[in-house]
Amino acid sequence: MSLLLAQAQDTIPNNTSLERTKKVGEIPEVPKLVKKKTATVTKTDTIVPVKKDRYGLRVGVDLYKLTRGLYDENYKGIELVGDYRLTKKYYAAAELGSENKTTEDDRLNTTTKGTYIKVGFDYNAYENWLDMENIISIGLRGGFSTFSQELNSYKTYNANPYWGEMPWKTSGEKFSGLTASWLEVVAGVKVKVINNVFVGFSLRMNVLITDKKPSDNFENLYIPGFNRTYAGNFGAGFNYTVTYFVPLYKKTVKPKK
Amino acid sequence: MKKILLFLMIAIFSFSSCEKDDICDANTPTTPRLVMEFYDISNPSILKNVTNLKVIGDGMTEGIVLNPTASGESQYLSNDSKISIPLKTDTETTKFRFILNSGNPNPTLIDIDEVTFNYTHNDVFVSRACGFKTLFTLDPLNPYTQTTIPATKLKWMQFISVEKSNIDNENETHIKVFF
Repeated sequence: MSLLLAQAQDTIPNNTSLERTKKVGEIPEVPKLVKKKTATVTKTDTIVPVKKDRYGLRVGVDLYKLTRGLYDENYKGIELVGDYRLTKKYYAAAELGSENKTTEDDRLNTTTKGTYIKVGFDYNAYENWLDMENIISIGLRGGFSTFSQELNSYKTYNANPYWGEMPWKTSGEKFSGLTASWLEVVAGVKVKVINNVFVGFSLRMNVLITDKKPSDNFENLYIPGFNRTYAGNFGAGFNYTVTYFVPLYKKTVKPKK
Repeated sequence: MKKILLFLMIAIFSFSSCEKDDICDANTPTTPRLVMEFYDISNPSILKNVTNLKVIGDGMTEGIVLNPTASGESQYLSNDSKISIPLKTDTETTKFRFILNSGNPNPTLIDIDEVTFNYTHNDVFVSRACGFKTLFTLDPLNPYTQTTIPATKLKWMQFISVEKSNIDNENETHIKVFF
């Protein structure tokens, strides 16, 4: 007996000897199942490196600016958006737009007309599965606008209205050749809805860098692309885009290890 | 993904609701009033308090509120040595009736001088919330004309001196009156 045991320990570990004894007792289908499992595992391993990323140009339009003109008689505007994929994560991005907006404040009525361009990049922080191409990005833009501003009418502020509240005064004074530049931090989402069509959404926080004032006696209340100006040079904006992706080439994604 | 879109939507709507949030701060210097100080004619460096001075703008029935802390009739009466009165921003002259000892039961003690200030004005941008303010420049040659009511009476404001012809804030005295 002891001799037999010693032999078994030498040649095969206890476990296998147990399995073997089991196999003897069971139906011979079991080893087949095990084989199948190992086969599927190797299959998925070989599929992953085949994944390819599409590279190309995405162009589109800001639907918010486009449709706002339909219900807001004080606004006409258009913004074209585009991005070009540079690497797996980085996209060169730009917006080009034109706006004509009349702003009705409590004591000021002004019309701003002009065009703007924003150029920068987006970084896609979203890890897509399989062939998904969605984007959750943060990015940076430099914005520049040339515009004119017209003071249509105004009211003077009088803390002591003994003589009664003064009516609106018409002015018509126009300030042309105004410029402004700013930096924009963009947080955005783009979702592929069908084939190459994406809908997107972005929120923007702006910081004015240069602002050519109309005169000592006035200031820029609205800047195309930058939107309404606030005290402290900060601004905010958003857009709601529909874009079409023009695929140009594909790049194989290197498997991660 | 849908949750993020929803979050962004909410964020944007809360952004757009901030549009009309600015109100003109009461401390912002806006259209200045004309600041007048009263001095003793016999001792011109000494401020002198007026007694129940009421100032009524031409064409108005109510007086200018000179004592905003009081209520009723006494808010129109000043017993101080300094008053501030608003000029018209849509014309180049403003006429005021300065009534000393207003409401006194003895009508002979009530002195009324009528002063018309002549000036030019221009509107200066303040801010989005405050709009414009109107600044005034008193006419250098003929800053005011003074008459009494009735005309036979002596002027109670014996001497009016223009200290500042540019009226662009309320922190300085524009007119000194000696009586």
